[in-house]
Amino acid sequence: MNTAGNECVSETLDDYVLVRLRGEVDLSWSQQVRRAILDALGAHPRVGVELSEVSYIDSSGIAALVEGLQSAKSKGKKFDLVSVSKSVMAVLELARLDRVFAIFPDLDAARSA
Amino acid sequence: MNAVAHGSAPDHAGNDRRALDFLAELSQALALSIDLHKTLAMALERIAEFMQAEAASMFLVDPVTKLIECRLCVGPVNITGLKVEAGQGIVGRAVAENLTQIVRDAQTDARVNVRVDAETGFVTRSIICVPLTTAEGPIGALEVINRRSGGLFEISDAVLLETVAAPAALAVNNARLADNLVEQQRMKRELELARRAQKSLLPKRRRDNFPLIGINLPAHEISGDFYDFFDLADGRIAFVIGDISGKGLDAAFLMVRTASLLRWAGKEGITPACWLERVNTELCATMREGRFVCALVGQYDRRDGSVVFASAGFPPALLQDAEGFREFPADGPPLGIMPDISYGETRLTLGADALYFFSDGITDARDSQRNRIGSAGMRELIVRHLDLAPEPRLRALIGDLKHLDLVDDTTVLLLQEPRGETAQTLLDLQFPAQAAQMRSVRARLRETLDEQAVGPEMRDRLVLAVDEACTNIIRHAYCECGNDDTISLLLKRERDMLVFELRDDAPTVDPGKIDARDLGDCRPGGLGVPFIRALMDDWRLQPGPGGCGNVLRMRKRLRADGMGD
Repeated sequence: MNTAGNECVSETLDDYVLVRLRGEVDLSWSQQVRRAILDALGAHPRVGVELSEVSYIDSSGIAALVEGLQSAKSKGKKFDLVSVSKSVMAVLELARLDRVFAIFPDLDAARSA
Repeated sequence: MNAVAHGSAPDHAGNDRRALDFLAELSQALALSIDLHKTLAMALERIAEFMQAEAASMFLVDPVTKLIECRLCVGPVNITGLKVEAGQGIVGRAVAENLTQIVRDAQTDARVNVRVDAETGFVTRSIICVPLTTAEGPIGALEVINRRSGGLFEISDAVLLETVAAPAALAVNNARLADNLVEQQRMKRELELARRAQKSLLPKRRRDNFPLIGINLPAHEISGDFYDFFDLADGRIAFVIGDISGKGLDAAFLMVRTASLLRWAGKEGITPACWLERVNTELCATMREGRFVCALVGQYDRRDGSVVFASAGFPPALLQDAEGFREFPADGPPLGIMPDISYGETRLTLGADALYFFSDGITDARDSQRNRIGSAGMRELIVRHLDLAPEPRLRALIGDLKHLDLVDDTTVLLLQEPRGETAQTLLDLQFPAQAAQMRSVRARLRETLDEQAVGPEMRDRLVLAVDEACTNIIRHAYCECGNDDTISLLLKRERDMLVFELRDDAPTVDPGKIDARDLGDCRPGGLGVPFIRALMDDWRLQPGPGGCGNVLRMRKRLRADGMGD
């Protein structure tokens, strides 16, 4: 998926699915992001969202991440945030969610956890 | 009903029917009466006739003196105007005890007041007296004397008289209540006239870029506060604000007198200290004991920005300049207490600063915990509306005060030069209310904030807050429905204050119904408003001009280094 520099791609690596986000996650496409995360959690036991190329995220994007976390918890699955960019981190901190998510510096750390 | 045991009177059916017809007719006449006095007189005659009594009388309690006075009577002796005290004689007892009194042989009954008989030669033999009872207690009594046949009154006669007394009491009571109501309405009308007369003494709002604005909010119909301003022959502007001690009509009259005196004494442009001294001397000569007036008078020269004022016991004047607030306490005691007082003066140069004079009604206003807001509360209110021009600021301030508990008259006079266009418009955007538009809106906003040397972290936070506000408008106010819906974003800077103004044409949103969850609460939605609350210094949602659409104003004060916190 690609809208004006925004991108949401899911990669499967053995039992781990990585949802790679790129661009500015806002209301215009946060529903697609939400769907991609929930679909990945429906099919795989371990899901990570890669955020290194996300330059902006609004509350609807944060809501999609929170919903992913809640869905994973209810199904006994694992849900990680991987390579969180500085600007996404600032919003997570603002929402006081930085301690709620499992956050990893890179994919290897997430997969070996 | 009264506490006399009546038993069942062995009346014949014919008598019962007659009594019932009589009662029905009497009740109706009383209920429909236009001239109550006339109707009661007629009723009393009919009662005397029906009961075959030689005399009948109606007594009413005077609401003020509490004496029981004969207001109506029929019979050989006119006792109208006769007054008895509660408990005195048969009538006095009927009222005091709220009980029917029956006297079978008046000549041997100690309760009977024989004074009237002795004076008139009338011989009282037998009496029934019933109280006129209302929910608030007895208001008088109905009395019949002597059977014409010479026989004695029976218990059944007492029952009949009690039954007649009920509609009579009701009619009298209704008439009294109606009189009270008329009196109350008359008073209200007169107070309203007094209020208008008083209001007409306050100077009219001047629209010619005039540097003085006053607002007076009376706690009741009439006020003890006043303000005034007028042009002097030499081009300066004179101003006055005052507060009369005490409340009510005499304070209002004193206010009118003092306001006239102050205007008259200030016309020539004498120094404020001298101005107060003259009025003080005049007031002391005529003032009633225990009354006084707190007042502040002054002059402002627009040509050099100089202000001079003198205060007689008035609350401290409050100056707000770039550094903050400064207070100027009174220069002497209130007016009207002691003659030959001399007052000091305060001089300053106003420049772009704001000088507030306010009566103690403001500092005495109570917050929700019933605490006085004091001078600190007043300062807080001023700061809250700092970015507004003087007039809207004063209105917003008064609007906030109205939400507090105002215990006293409240008056503010603000001296400040109307601002030039010091607010700089940084960005003025209008765009379709669609989520897809937000990316470019954010880009424009980032660019603008970068030009203002706002640091990158602060910039991103402000962009997030504006974005959240816009998406709330798109999702909740417009409900993502219309294709022609637009949002306008105005970004202004006034000194170190950034003001973001978002306008829409959506149905008016009730600010009280906005979901303002706590940030600590972990759930997917509803984060927009908490973000705005956390990122901005303050925000306020109001209906748009003419009640159409919504205006959201968010403000952030920047630190010198472009950071907000």
